[in-house]
Amino acid sequence: MELSSLNILFIGAAALLGIGMYGMLVSHNLIKIVVAIQILVKSALLAMISAGLARDEIQLSQSLALTVIVADTIVAVIGIALAVQVRRRIGTLDVRELSKLKG
Amino acid sequence: MQIISIHTTLVSAALLCALQAIHSKRLLISALWLAALSALLSILFYILGAEQVAVIELSVGAGLVTVLFVFAINVAGDQELKGRDIIPIPFAAGLVLIGILLLIRFIVPLEPPLRTSRSVSFVETLWGLRGLDMLVQIVLIFSGVLGLLRILAEAKAPLEGAVTEEVAALRERDLQALAQQSTAATERISQATPEPF
Amino acid sequence: MAVLCVSLCICLPWIGSIAVWRCGNAHSKLQHSVASVFAVATGVMSLLLLLNPAETPVVRIPMGDFFGELTLVPDGLGIILAIIASVVGSLAVVFSIDYMHGDPQLGRYYALILFFIGAMSGLGLSGSMLLMFFFWEITAFCSYALISFHNDDPKAVSGGVKALIVTQFGGIGLLIGALIIRSYTGSYQIGDFLETAPALESGLLSAIGFGFLLAAMAKSAQFPLHTWLPDAMEAPTPVTALIHAATMVNAGVYLLARFFPAFEAVAGWKTSVMLVGLLSALLAALMATRSDDIKRALAYSTISQLGYMIYAVGIGGIFASMFHLLSHAVFKALLFLGAGAVIQATGTRDMRRMGNLSKKMPFVHATFMIGCFALAGLPLANGFFSKELILEFGLQRGPQWVFLCMLAGAGLTAWYTLRIYTMTFRGQSGEIHVVNPAPPAMKTSLAILAAGVLTTWLFAAGFSALLADSLPYHNVHVTTNISLIHEIIRAPLTYVALLVIVAGGACWQFRDRVVKKFRIPARVTQFVESGYGIDIPYTAVVRITQRASRLLRDAHSGQLNLNVAGISAALCILLTLLLAGV
Repeated sequence: MELSSLNILFIGAAALLGIGMYGMLVSHNLIKIVVAIQILVKSALLAMISAGLARDEIQLSQSLALTVIVADTIVAVIGIALAVQVRRRIGTLDVRELSKLKG
Repeated sequence: MQIISIHTTLVSAALLCALQAIHSKRLLISALWLAALSALLSILFYILGAEQVAVIELSVGAGLVTVLFVFAINVAGDQELKGRDIIPIPFAAGLVLIGILLLIRFIVPLEPPLRTSRSVSFVETLWGLRGLDMLVQIVLIFSGVLGLLRILAEAKAPLEGAVTEEVAALRERDLQALAQQSTAATERISQATPEPF
Repeated sequence: MAVLCVSLCICLPWIGSIAVWRCGNAHSKLQHSVASVFAVATGVMSLLLLLNPAETPVVRIPMGDFFGELTLVPDGLGIILAIIASVVGSLAVVFSIDYMHGDPQLGRYYALILFFIGAMSGLGLSGSMLLMFFFWEITAFCSYALISFHNDDPKAVSGGVKALIVTQFGGIGLLIGALIIRSYTGSYQIGDFLETAPALESGLLSAIGFGFLLAAMAKSAQFPLHTWLPDAMEAPTPVTALIHAATMVNAGVYLLARFFPAFEAVAGWKTSVMLVGLLSALLAALMATRSDDIKRALAYSTISQLGYMIYAVGIGGIFASMFHLLSHAVFKALLFLGAGAVIQATGTRDMRRMGNLSKKMPFVHATFMIGCFALAGLPLANGFFSKELILEFGLQRGPQWVFLCMLAGAGLTAWYTLRIYTMTFRGQSGEIHVVNPAPPAMKTSLAILAAGVLTTWLFAAGFSALLADSLPYHNVHVTTNISLIHEIIRAPLTYVALLVIVAGGACWQFRDRVVKKFRIPARVTQFVESGYGIDIPYTAVVRITQRASRLLRDAHSGQLNLNVAGISAALCILLTLLLAGV
């Protein structure tokens, strides 16, 4: 089966998505979960640029990717600020303990 | 053949970095692997022809976000959290693998791209076609900064009060324990006192 | 002019409802007056509708392609429903001035009653099925809110919830029918559907027909969806008189009468309607003979009389059915309001503790007696004429065995009517002290309703002409008053019916001897009293829902990892479905 470069790129994006989700499934530290979210967004960026490559509209996809980078950075910033606050107020970064639902 | 192998190497290196970022025990090392991932991806973008995004990704992903992580880790501490896994690792790996395979099933029948010359420039597209995006981004950045300031600032005032309350409660408990000890001691002494003469 | 009348019939009570609410609970006298003024104004407005009945829509509000046109049609059926709702509503509001005296939440009470009156008029007047469904749901909501008006009483709240659940279950039938009609004929208009109904294929038409029958059964508390009505007696009595005797429960009968020409031809539809009416009439009458709570007994009586009306629709006597609907609304409201006066004066609903009230409450006694005449079907009260008309139609057009059962039902009606009357007003004094006889506002409503009972049968001619003129698809039997009286006096059936009624009354009088002759085992009486076991599926549904929701609580763990696992699993399932589709 001959895989073109485009296929490799998209498979890479899918794999990064998988790794990001895996990170969210397995991590217990809040900051590591923010790292996993960052990996997810990088996979989306890769997919976006590759799609632009496939349709020969790289400029358009670059503009969209720029917006995504900005938004994702804000998400990282706010996520980290929240993690810091959680650590200060509640005292723990362990996701397993940050749940008040009685279940 | 040349191009394909570069893509493959870069992509596999990126995947390795991501895996290491998840698996490393220390948060600081995790953040560094994330920076490496950003760098590799930015090189990949450059090779694919998206130069502007490559530059921005490098500076933001490998620079700004990494600095933020380092700051957070310094403040929040880097200790390892013990405890049982809620989702056992094999199960998580299996679930994710199934998802990836399903996605690959979609991806594989794709056609390779046709390369034509670039006619429109990036700046034109950015400001002409996606002008609204830029406005939204500016608003986003402002609101993000404001939100950050608000979140970080709020802690100061009530936290002081909480801390002093905690300290006061601890002191109260200590005093009570001391009082109990003294009463117990006096009782023992009075009981143990032999009858006079 | 007609446009103004029709729109005001709906909007005036709604404006009144907001006005009463904004008055604030601190000014209760103002609230009483505002509510009465708006209610009486609506009553007058609805009577003005009689001046220009129309066959075609008078008010049209275009709502685009998706919702069709919202239309209001003041034809015979709609006008009668609007008149009953507004006039009986205004009398109930006047009655509430004294009944709800001193209640701290009058704003909510009056606002809901006025809201209901507007919605009920709208239900009758609407010509678009979507608009009718909209008003249907509003009446269901108002009924629930008013039943559980005393929301610190758990029985009231559970009664309200039960009413809501059962009537909404029926509402599904209405919605599905309306949607099917829309998708196959392209329009929500009732007139269009009645015209094109013969062209639809019979399977579809039966689905719609039985869906509507389900909705009517739930709303009119017919067997087996009747269990909510006796439990709804926790509502304040004027609410019961208005909603659960005179107006909302008639919506089911109205629905069947309105769509009768479309479903006439559906195999088994008319028979099912007749059977539902028959079962309700007989079984509810049986339960009324055993009930000791005055309001519950009257509730069972309502179910029974509605059974008569539905039976009449089933055999094709639209005029007879609507005529009995009018009479029943008036005399049942009278009986309930009279019961309300008794309950307020004695402080109890249990008839065994009442007795000999005829001396202590003479006015209420007189009006209640008139109402009882009408319920039992004795001459000169409107109930007599309408019930005889139904029985005659039944003899002429329907199967004989059903007719005989309905005749027996008339006897049972006389039995329990006499029972209610004697237990409350005759006999020895109960342990109750009558605090004070009825206050003036109550007396006004009771007097007007009693006068109505004695006179509404005179409108039979005009009513039938109205129906015949404005309903092009129904074949309405037109009559004049003289011919009506002649018909009834000459028919031997009338005398047979009167005999049966007297026999029923005698059974009660000499019940000791009757009971000795027919020994009924205790298990049977228990089964009858508990509602023939119909409550069992209802409580089962409630219990299953509660248990299932308690089991599902485990899924709400709040753990981030589990939530992400849920997201990933959903993603995989989505991808699999997409692959399978491709």
